[in-house]
Amino acid sequence: MQPPLHALVVLLTLALMESGCASVPAYDRGRLAQPSMTTSDLAHPSEEHVRAVQEGATGGGFAAGGGCGCN
Amino acid sequence: MQLRRAAGALLLVAVLTARRANAQASAEQGRATAESGATPSSSAATPDPQPAAVAPPTHRVSTSNLTGTVGSEIAEYADTDHVFVFTPSIAGAVSNPTAGWSVNAGYLVDAVSAASVDIVSTASRRWEEVRQEGSLAGSYHPGNLGVGANAIVSSEPDYLSLNAGASVTQDLLNKNLTWLFSYEYGHDVSGRTGTPFSVFSHEIDHHSLKAGVTLLLDHATIVSFVADVIFDIGDESKPYRYIPLFAPGVYVPVGASVADVTSLRVSERPLEQLPLSRQRFATSGRLAHRFRSSTVRVDERLYVDTWGMKATTTDARYLFDLGRFEVGPHLRIHGQSPVDFWQRAYVMGPGFTYPALRTGDRELGPLLTATGGGSLQVALGSKAAPRAWVIGIDLNGMWTQYFDDLYITQRWSFVGGVSLEAAL
Repeated sequence: MQPPLHALVVLLTLALMESGCASVPAYDRGRLAQPSMTTSDLAHPSEEHVRAVQEGATGGGFAAGGGCGCN
Repeated sequence: MQLRRAAGALLLVAVLTARRANAQASAEQGRATAESGATPSSSAATPDPQPAAVAPPTHRVSTSNLTGTVGSEIAEYADTDHVFVFTPSIAGAVSNPTAGWSVNAGYLVDAVSAASVDIVSTASRRWEEVRQEGSLAGSYHPGNLGVGANAIVSSEPDYLSLNAGASVTQDLLNKNLTWLFSYEYGHDVSGRTGTPFSVFSHEIDHHSLKAGVTLLLDHATIVSFVADVIFDIGDESKPYRYIPLFAPGVYVPVGASVADVTSLRVSERPLEQLPLSRQRFATSGRLAHRFRSSTVRVDERLYVDTWGMKATTTDARYLFDLGRFEVGPHLRIHGQSPVDFWQRAYVMGPGFTYPALRTGDRELGPLLTATGGGSLQVALGSKAAPRAWVIGIDLNGMWTQYFDDLYITQRWSFVGGVSLEAAL
């Protein structure tokens, strides 16, 4: 069954990452604050919508609109 | 079409669009606080709960603690299957970084013109449609705990989509770790153009759960993980999609033409029928590292669903600064297996029987898509504030190989936009 395997992988990865997490002081975060380091997706909104229409394996992306213009 | 292009050119020249203004606004806020010795904005280290479906704002106005933004975007899509989409959009936002709240709204229009092989194979003429979408979102993140909410409405003649969601985030370990949880509900109504929804429609519900965490690995590296679980409930079958059937023993080659399919198929041609529910599971990871004057970002996403589809998507960007220029080449590979009930040629059995589940949607079949392109931004402002004016160009070309389909075996498509960003 795939879902439990996924959940296990996620939990294991998080545990490993948490153990390797460094403490970065506030004064040392200049590079992290660069615009290109944002955690948001840099993809063009239209590019996101195109993917949602062209690829059946979409997930978490239906916020882009259920109307796909693909009927 | 000419009017549309003229409008696009006019808007282009008139300055609208900006892809990353929202991201830059939050990141610049983080940079300002970081440079002043304070803790960076938590939003800069938080997984995005839901990517904005509209263009980010571009034009900023600041008075006291309030920041206002407004902007728009123009994009164009074209492919070798004769599909064209023109998408202008506008957006605006108001935020108070000191108080930790923000509100934004947007509106876009998709003008679609298509004469794809799927339309031609049903002896239909070129099809044109307009989709409109409006969105409203807000967030409040005064301290280590933050909440957000959003709503999106999308409407076209044969499809209505309503979505609303909420999210919560928390910064931990002196903002070295941020977790996020969100839920979104969507309700779609699918019908036929020219027929009222009250006469014919399918209703589809979506429930989406997302959990994520972002970690600072060191002073220049961020890693994020997100897990999505999505439940789709309802009949998503397309009411226009007729499935050709073939007698047992008839060989139909990959990429068979419309003429070949017409000559080989039996006269019976039922509508598409998909399963009435689908559960999707996706796990995504992102690594971003900032060098002295460049950034590398790598994403990996794994996907499975209860229709039997498995997929992997790898995305990489390298953005580097060259004085007033920022160049960002982009590569992306997406591969997916077919759903369990996928068949290139469905067979008509004895007694005029055919498979209960059937589809002609090639996006549910096995495919591989390679994307290449990138972005270019030029800072046009004064020496003191070079990014007060920024012009940007985005262009991506996508090549898709369909491994087990009728009509076509590959497709080229292009999506791009031009932007001019202004800041006060």
